[in-house]
Amino acid sequence: MIYFLMGVGLTIIFGMMNFVNFAHGVFYALGAFICYQVIQVTGSYWIGLILTPILIGAVAYILEKILITKLYRVDHAVQILITIGLMLIIREGILIIWGTVPKPVATPSILQGVIFLGDFVYPKYRLFIIAISAGIGLGVWYLLERTRFGITIRAGSENPKMVSLLGVDTDRLFALTFVFGVALAGIAGALLAPIRGADAFSGDEALGIAFVVVVIGGMGSFSGALLGGLIVGLVQSFTAILWPEGTKVMIYSVMALIILLRPNGLFGKA
Amino acid sequence: MLTKTPLFVHFLAAFAIAAVLPMLLPSYVLATEILLFGLAVIGCNLLLGYTGLLSFGQALFFGSGSYFAGLMSIHLNLGIVPTLLITMALGALIAILVGVFAIRRAGIYFIMLTLAFAQLGYYIAFLAEPITGGEDGLLDIQRPALSIPFVAKFEFDSDFSFYALTGAIFIVVFVLMQRLVKSPLGTVLTAIKQNEARAEAIGYNVKLYKIVVFAFSGSVTALAGALYAFMLKFAPLSNIDLETSSQILFMTILGGLGSIYGSVLGSAVFLVASDFFAELWPRWMILLGLLLIFVMLYMPGGVSKSLEDLFAKISAAKDQRGKKP
Repeated sequence: MIYFLMGVGLTIIFGMMNFVNFAHGVFYALGAFICYQVIQVTGSYWIGLILTPILIGAVAYILEKILITKLYRVDHAVQILITIGLMLIIREGILIIWGTVPKPVATPSILQGVIFLGDFVYPKYRLFIIAISAGIGLGVWYLLERTRFGITIRAGSENPKMVSLLGVDTDRLFALTFVFGVALAGIAGALLAPIRGADAFSGDEALGIAFVVVVIGGMGSFSGALLGGLIVGLVQSFTAILWPEGTKVMIYSVMALIILLRPNGLFGKA
Repeated sequence: MLTKTPLFVHFLAAFAIAAVLPMLLPSYVLATEILLFGLAVIGCNLLLGYTGLLSFGQALFFGSGSYFAGLMSIHLNLGIVPTLLITMALGALIAILVGVFAIRRAGIYFIMLTLAFAQLGYYIAFLAEPITGGEDGLLDIQRPALSIPFVAKFEFDSDFSFYALTGAIFIVVFVLMQRLVKSPLGTVLTAIKQNEARAEAIGYNVKLYKIVVFAFSGSVTALAGALYAFMLKFAPLSNIDLETSSQILFMTILGGLGSIYGSVLGSAVFLVASDFFAELWPRWMILLGLLLIFVMLYMPGGVSKSLEDLFAKISAAKDQRGKKP
């Protein structure tokens, strides 16, 4: 599920704004660090989890205003390289503020330990992640498919000029979409922090996985991101049992295979 | 671009670049790096600048080049020429494999596929620890010697002699690439870049051409990777990672698309800047990130294009002044 959460932000940003965000992974890492910092200050994981998307969203909003907004009409190659520049800046910023040693984040006490589901032993915290991700997924789906905001976003992705002529402030719409997608990456980082810790270099891996999820599912497709996340998760779990070191190799191989069979991804539009 | 410059002019230019570089730079090592990354950038430019294919997986060719060459030097001891030629052939082979799959898709999916293949290569290199050294990289690589039977044997142990070797290879490849992009093949590639549907309609087998250009790009990039491994006497895992891919891509765009000279310029500007930043501050990557954003926003044609514009402006200003009495 966590893979879905990483992928969905990327896919929303790409699908709605036709914008390739290579800094997506570093926002995930930044989310983990912000969560760590909030916990240091307030002592509560829950406040950390709630504040992280808000703070990450604020960072994303500022970046959108000063930089990203200039990039909607340029080539994908330029978008990619500029967001890589952004990624470098944020990553080095993290290293300056928090140092090079990854920071551990404690699992909240209420979620420590395991739950017995029949014969299976499952850590409570992982179940919590699944529940939260499912909740967020439902929320995102509702927002995109059932609200006025969602309708305008989807319309804006089809034809920004027309939507703007109809009196919708597309600049604001795009800014909100970007903030929203990045905040989702931040939540993913905060949720995984108790398992993986906060590591400045985890962004590259997260980015790779997010792209696999999105490409498997089809760029810009919400249900595709969900399915892609599930597939990556399943591949990961199965290889973890059979060939623990080979999970990454398998994930990328599965992606290559799916692209060969279904060139647009499972739910992608051409 | 369409002017026909005789090849020997390019030869002289390449020779001049290789001869002058070390005089301008503090060390032979930096000069060596510039030339060999220049080769990698030429490889990337063949795809992006001439054919319009944005490959985000150049590190796959670069990294596997350094592993192949390193492994051959350790286990086979063939001498420099066969080692590099075999590396180039293997690089081309990998590139053809990637190309066959990746060109099935266009646009963003193409980029993602090249990225995915590079990541796949990274994790394979990471896993194959007994062969590649895994995370530690491949250690104890020796620079093979060039031996011409009964005549002489050249060793490349000193920084200078290795620079001379890199320079000689650079000149050869530089001239060959100039020849390639001006050849009928190069013209077809440009046609594909400008209008793929039309090139296809005229009857060119666009897919085949794309695979061919992948092969060229892969072999040149692998050659650069091999030289890099020999320069360091070590093949780090990072040669095959995402960052190397993006650096090569950045140098390519920095130098200017569709220009072999620009490729060398891009590599030079990037490496000199990194070298300079690295001495200023341990967190120099921030400055690199800023440079990247600045260049992308304000110099979309790359440094060589901006220089051309600047010269054009200066000469226009001169003309204006000349007209005034």
